Amino acid sequence: MANEALKQEIQSALRNTTLSRTLGKFCETYPEKRLKSYAGVNFEETRDSIREVKGYAAEHIDEMIEKFTKNCTARGGHVFHATSTEEAMEYVRNLVREKGVKTIVKSKSMASEELHMNKVLGDDGVLVQETDLGEFIIALEGNTPVHMVMPALHLNKEQVADLFTDYTKEKNEPIIAEEVKTARKVMREKFTHADMGVSGANVAVAETGTVFTMTNEGNGRMVGTLPKIHLYVFGIEKFVNSLSDARYIFKALPRNGTGQRLTTYLSLYTGATEVCLDKDTDEKGPKEFYCVILDDPGRREILADEDFREVYDCIRCGACLDVCPAFALLGGHVYGSKVYTGGIGTILSHFLVSEERAEQIQNICLQCGRCKEVCGGGLHIPEMIMKLRERSTEKHQNPTYKFALDAVSDRKLFHSMLRIASIAQPAFMKPGQPMMRHLPMFLSGLSEGRSLPKIAQVPFRDIFPTIPQNVENPKGKIAIFTGCLLDFVYVDTATAIIKDLNSIGYVVDMPMGQSCCGAPATYMGDRKNATVTAKLNVDAMSAENYDYIVSACPTCTHQLREYQEFLKDDPEYYEKAKALGEKAYDFCKLFHMLGGLSDEGDGKEMNITYHDSCHLKRSMGVYEEQRELLTHTKGVHLTEMKESDVCCGFGGTYSIKFPEVATPILAKKIEHIKETGADTVAVDCPGCMMQISGGLDARGLDVDVKHTAVIIAEKRGLM
Amino acid sequence: MGAADVMYERFDKNLQAVNGNSWLATVPEAADIIVNAFKENGIPDTCLCETPLLKEMGLKKALEDAGITVYTDHIRLHSETAKGGICETQCGIADLGSVLQLGDDVDARLVAGMSEYYIGIVRLSTIVDDYDAMFDQLCAMEELPTFVGFITGPSRTADIECVSTVGVHGPLKLSILVVADV
Repeated sequence: MANEALKQEIQSALRNTTLSRTLGKFCETYPEKRLKSYAGVNFEETRDSIREVKGYAAEHIDEMIEKFTKNCTARGGHVFHATSTEEAMEYVRNLVREKGVKTIVKSKSMASEELHMNKVLGDDGVLVQETDLGEFIIALEGNTPVHMVMPALHLNKEQVADLFTDYTKEKNEPIIAEEVKTARKVMREKFTHADMGVSGANVAVAETGTVFTMTNEGNGRMVGTLPKIHLYVFGIEKFVNSLSDARYIFKALPRNGTGQRLTTYLSLYTGATEVCLDKDTDEKGPKEFYCVILDDPGRREILADEDFREVYDCIRCGACLDVCPAFALLGGHVYGSKVYTGGIGTILSHFLVSEERAEQIQNICLQCGRCKEVCGGGLHIPEMIMKLRERSTEKHQNPTYKFALDAVSDRKLFHSMLRIASIAQPAFMKPGQPMMRHLPMFLSGLSEGRSLPKIAQVPFRDIFPTIPQNVENPKGKIAIFTGCLLDFVYVDTATAIIKDLNSIGYVVDMPMGQSCCGAPATYMGDRKNATVTAKLNVDAMSAENYDYIVSACPTCTHQLREYQEFLKDDPEYYEKAKALGEKAYDFCKLFHMLGGLSDEGDGKEMNITYHDSCHLKRSMGVYEEQRELLTHTKGVHLTEMKESDVCCGFGGTYSIKFPEVATPILAKKIEHIKETGADTVAVDCPGCMMQISGGLDARGLDVDVKHTAVIIAEKRGLM
Repeated sequence: MGAADVMYERFDKNLQAVNGNSWLATVPEAADIIVNAFKENGIPDTCLCETPLLKEMGLKKALEDAGITVYTDHIRLHSETAKGGICETQCGIADLGSVLQLGDDVDARLVAGMSEYYIGIVRLSTIVDDYDAMFDQLCAMEELPTFVGFITGPSRTADIECVSTVGVHGPLKLSILVVADV
């Protein structure tokens, strides 16, 4: 069971209707808005350039710090290199004291939040004012940001009006345009009277000593223009070498952040710019300009860790949050950090804020991989979260999970358990029902919002020898890897694969020593059991005896391809695992590749919609082949559903660990299916099939869910 | 349509897309356009950062003749209350509808950032094609000015319920007068 406190926070977030409405709406419209903003700009090339320039800076970090210090100082700035958050805060504290600063205006600076700057200076009697509207609102609420770019999305205009009324002691109406005017009026006073401005940098350029800040509201410019003292606080990850290098980041940052081609303001400060020193005499002179470079052990740990070094490439755009199905439901508070949220927040929190908290929140990730597609720095966020999970499991594995995963890794024991379960299950099924709709006691979460399929009375491994395969002059021999669901639940899908492949001239064999692919152990961070299973299946599948290995579960296919990674330290197994991985294909890709595309079909009307499996689309890049196979089939009409490639909420063990998150994700998927009016949902993943058919059944909806292999076999009259 | 006109059309279209507007005018036409814009928007007073180009336009006199109070010094003081703000900007980007401020002059930054209605003035000849061209230009400078500021439309926020609203801390309205010098 996931941490109870986290569960409660999840429930609390799910109850916040404003959050679900505004964040849900934003996340729904974000992908299209983002895509539109990239018109004429090649995103892939831009992010490759970002990785290149940030990678260079990471490799030369000490040189970056030295050059920036020299160049900023030469232009009248003062630079302090802090090797810990404590050292950085002490420097700021002394500076504030020495200069007699009483009031500070801040534009967003995540690094300063790591220092707890507002609290420390506040305790010293300094008034620190957040000036970004969202940050100002949550400061009044006494809360933390719910989103890195839009921190106050959890509050509605009525709640904001109440907060403003309390603060201004004047009645504020819940009208957004009026609330914005109130903020302008209140903040204008703060800007014009502040002794010091504090800014965060989006980028720092070593060769010129320049810091960049981008904002939409204009508060960043006020902070940098009005007070006589200006302080920047930023981490070492903000460095690039040259001014030209910085351009790539600002191509992606606004587009990824808010779907804008450029924010309203992009300001570059190089040293001490002019300020007005006395407004009555109009005396002018250079401002006092300070930069604190935060180079704490957490940041150095990231750079030294091969598995996490690419975190340095993060541009803090927040795109990983905006496409995350779990984040869209929960917002940022459940991530617990006052600074970083979402997928990247989980990783940053581990290094920069709290390892303990990161250990819990890494579980929120569905591993759907959507974040990786849009990440401005090209970070492999899901893989890094998996690494965190592995490291956490190595330290203290949940005993219940360990028992379960040990059992799954023992093929004979696991298969015996499944056979026993197929006998015991009628106790939980009503006569005539095809699915289990309610499970008792602690298993009740499993059937929340969905029914469960029944375990087949006869597993596919027992059916397989009885399937006639009359293939004349076979073109080749293929081994089927069924995985648990095709072997023990969806035996018809496995049968369809044999029929389909036979129909294009291939004989199929089923190596009987195969077992679970090991994905459950992998996704629960149990590398030991995952490796045991990898070896078992590498031996069992004997890839050298076959032309191809076919699987109809993209998670299994992906896992088969990953075995070499688990076995990289074992030369003998590594070579065999590599050979297996190279021959492993998902059904639709292989069938299409081997000439399975045909206009055959019974011509009977079948209105389908298609749901993309996360692994098939994002890990293997397969999304066109199955659509082509289906739409060429006579009688089949495809209507695309909204967000067809958004996770259905299954996520392997995720739907068991977090049914409260998986259920609303599934509910949204069901709504999108209903909107198409389709009579059948085509899928290529048995996990998605289980999740979606369960959701449809629980709602009493008469919509079939079928694997592409089954549709093809049925429409071509093969079974 | 000549290349310069095409450049202006692009600049104007992209500026409109971010809630700004622009005019293309010769130096003698400029003052009337700006006076009318301020009159239409009920701007009673403005800060004005004089430059040779703005002096040539006769802007100060034209605004004062129209009954608008004009501040050309003590900008820090007057920008706290003046509704309008006018200054010259150093270049622009057609593809984004952006103008850029390059230099140390704090008054110009105050005027562009604090007014409710900001009018920027840019020479058409200084507008470059796109973002990359502007970066190339900045990178080619022998020394980067202490301040470089891209301005793309009026200030905006979507921090309350994701509803896009203009004019949080900076200008509520932004216009750019493009001087037809090519």
